[in-house]
Amino acid sequence: MTETVKAFDAAAARSTQVNRRIACVAGLLVLAALVPFAASDYQLRFAAEILIVGTAVLSLDLLVGFGGLVSLGHATLFGGAAYAAAVAARAWGADLTLMVGIGIVTGMAMAFVTGIVVMRTIALFFLILTLIVGQIFWEIVFHWRSVTGGADGLRGLPALELHLGFTTLDLSSSRALYITAAVLAFAAWAVARSFVNAPAGRALIGTRERQLRMSALGYDIARIRMMALLASGAIAGAAGALYPFVNQYIGPNSMHWTFSAMMVVMLVIGGVGSLYGAFIGAAICLGIQTYISSYTDRWQLVVGLIFVLTVLIMPRGIVHGVGSLMRGKGKP
Amino acid sequence: MSFYLVQILNALSFSMLLMLTGLGLSVVLSLLNFVNLTHGSSFLLGAYVAIWWLGSGAPWWLAFPAAFLAAALVGLALERFPFRQFYTRTHLMQVLLTYGLSVIFADLMRWGFGAQIASPELPEILSGVVFILDMPFPIYRLFIIGFGAVLALALWFVIDRTIWGAVVRACVTDRRFVETLGLDTKRIFTVVVAVAAGLGGLSGALGAGILSAYPGLDEEQLILALIVVVVGGLGTFRGTVLSALLLGFALTFTKVWIPEMSNVAALAIMALMLVIAPQGLVARKVRQV
Repeated sequence: MTETVKAFDAAAARSTQVNRRIACVAGLLVLAALVPFAASDYQLRFAAEILIVGTAVLSLDLLVGFGGLVSLGHATLFGGAAYAAAVAARAWGADLTLMVGIGIVTGMAMAFVTGIVVMRTIALFFLILTLIVGQIFWEIVFHWRSVTGGADGLRGLPALELHLGFTTLDLSSSRALYITAAVLAFAAWAVARSFVNAPAGRALIGTRERQLRMSALGYDIARIRMMALLASGAIAGAAGALYPFVNQYIGPNSMHWTFSAMMVVMLVIGGVGSLYGAFIGAAICLGIQTYISSYTDRWQLVVGLIFVLTVLIMPRGIVHGVGSLMRGKGKP
Repeated sequence: MSFYLVQILNALSFSMLLMLTGLGLSVVLSLLNFVNLTHGSSFLLGAYVAIWWLGSGAPWWLAFPAAFLAAALVGLALERFPFRQFYTRTHLMQVLLTYGLSVIFADLMRWGFGAQIASPELPEILSGVVFILDMPFPIYRLFIIGFGAVLALALWFVIDRTIWGAVVRACVTDRRFVETLGLDTKRIFTVVVAVAAGLGGLSGALGAGILSAYPGLDEEQLILALIVVVVGGLGTFRGTVLSALLLGFALTFTKVWIPEMSNVAALAIMALMLVIAPQGLVARKVRQV
């Protein structure tokens, strides 16, 4: 009897949880759909940047949240794909399909190279190795002036457009850019979600929780991690491909490890392992940066303080923090 | 020939700096399993304090203890709050906390000491050059090598040959066991974190003479120190010394041979080391559970 009641309660709780999640996602979607009608050009570009960076952070969540692999080289995949897209756009024109394709391929290729190096390591060693590999890529981009423009970066990109065979859509306006970014963000979220729910994703969680047991069960740990890295690289690459078109500029800072660290911060502020929290974290961090830097020169101080306070007060991120506050529970 | 001798000395002096910075980080990492990304800030703070001290006209040799003390005091305060709460948390949380702190410190130091490059006014006895096989070589670098070697030996002696060192090493191996012997491990941790931060500051003071001090130096040094510690292997004095030498020589000689790609080559060497020996050059035996 009690067992049945318990099971029933659990099922009910699960369904309200699912309902709440659906409501959350639906709310975000409606919000995203309303933005183009209310926002100025500048705000739209900023929103597009948030969505693009958020997508990259979401891909990082696959590694951190589900694989337990904290990478400090994720900006490299994102920025590398952005550079590849920018260089390709200057050579062949900025067709959206081509850009995203090149971004995905570049992201996966760089993730593969990183994966070969870092495959045997976990925890701290993984952190440092991804950092080293990322900095190697950064150094190459920084010094390869003839292609990447060195410290100056690349400017003067052609307008983003989409060839549909019968017609060509111009995507260079802020509104079109925002919609493109929103579609990309949603697609990335759907892909990441299905990856997490697929056997590969479940196995990835297994390697995070019980590595030894998973290998005893016959799972190839390195292979599972590589798949996660590739999936993550593909999403980060797709996001990166759009990034140069937001500000018509791509610079070496987008590949630097401090940007990787920033992504980790965004992820934690948003909530690790929630996927959609990545966008919230990106919005908060970029918002704070832009908003505060227009008021004071000491904005980095404020940003740092906010990081530290988040870690101290809401270690599981805004999503969980606010959620547990609403449910009236101190402990999540 | 003499050219290479000078380069070897250059590499040695740089390795000394890397080693001193790395040792502070290494001891905290292996003892407390705590990733302290504010170590670069300690380095930069020490550098600024030393530069300020050398410019103030006070006895020059006191600049180094002053830098050590300043960084150690900050380390002490940080250990009390908030580091102590984070020893049992995941690396991710530690990275986040200390990265946030390092961003704060970087901005505070830019505020207090300015954003321009600051170089110390070296005392007469340390400035100038000596001629080694007809090649000029800065005296200051020789001073770093000498000072670093003495300090490293002293540290090794303390850790390896004294009762205090034995206590710290015992804490690394099994903290609970040390507690059952009636020792207050919390206090030990506080002292270790403070001394480690002080070492960071001291290396900053030493390094100021060749690297100067500027915003961003903290990050550069932090990365190098992290690489040294991890490639060397956690919890080993020898490993840190070895990998500091390796990185110092790699960075110096790649700058001689392929200046444009020197960092790429040096980083690639260190990455290769980690791929070959994922647990570090000198690995502690760890039981996998």
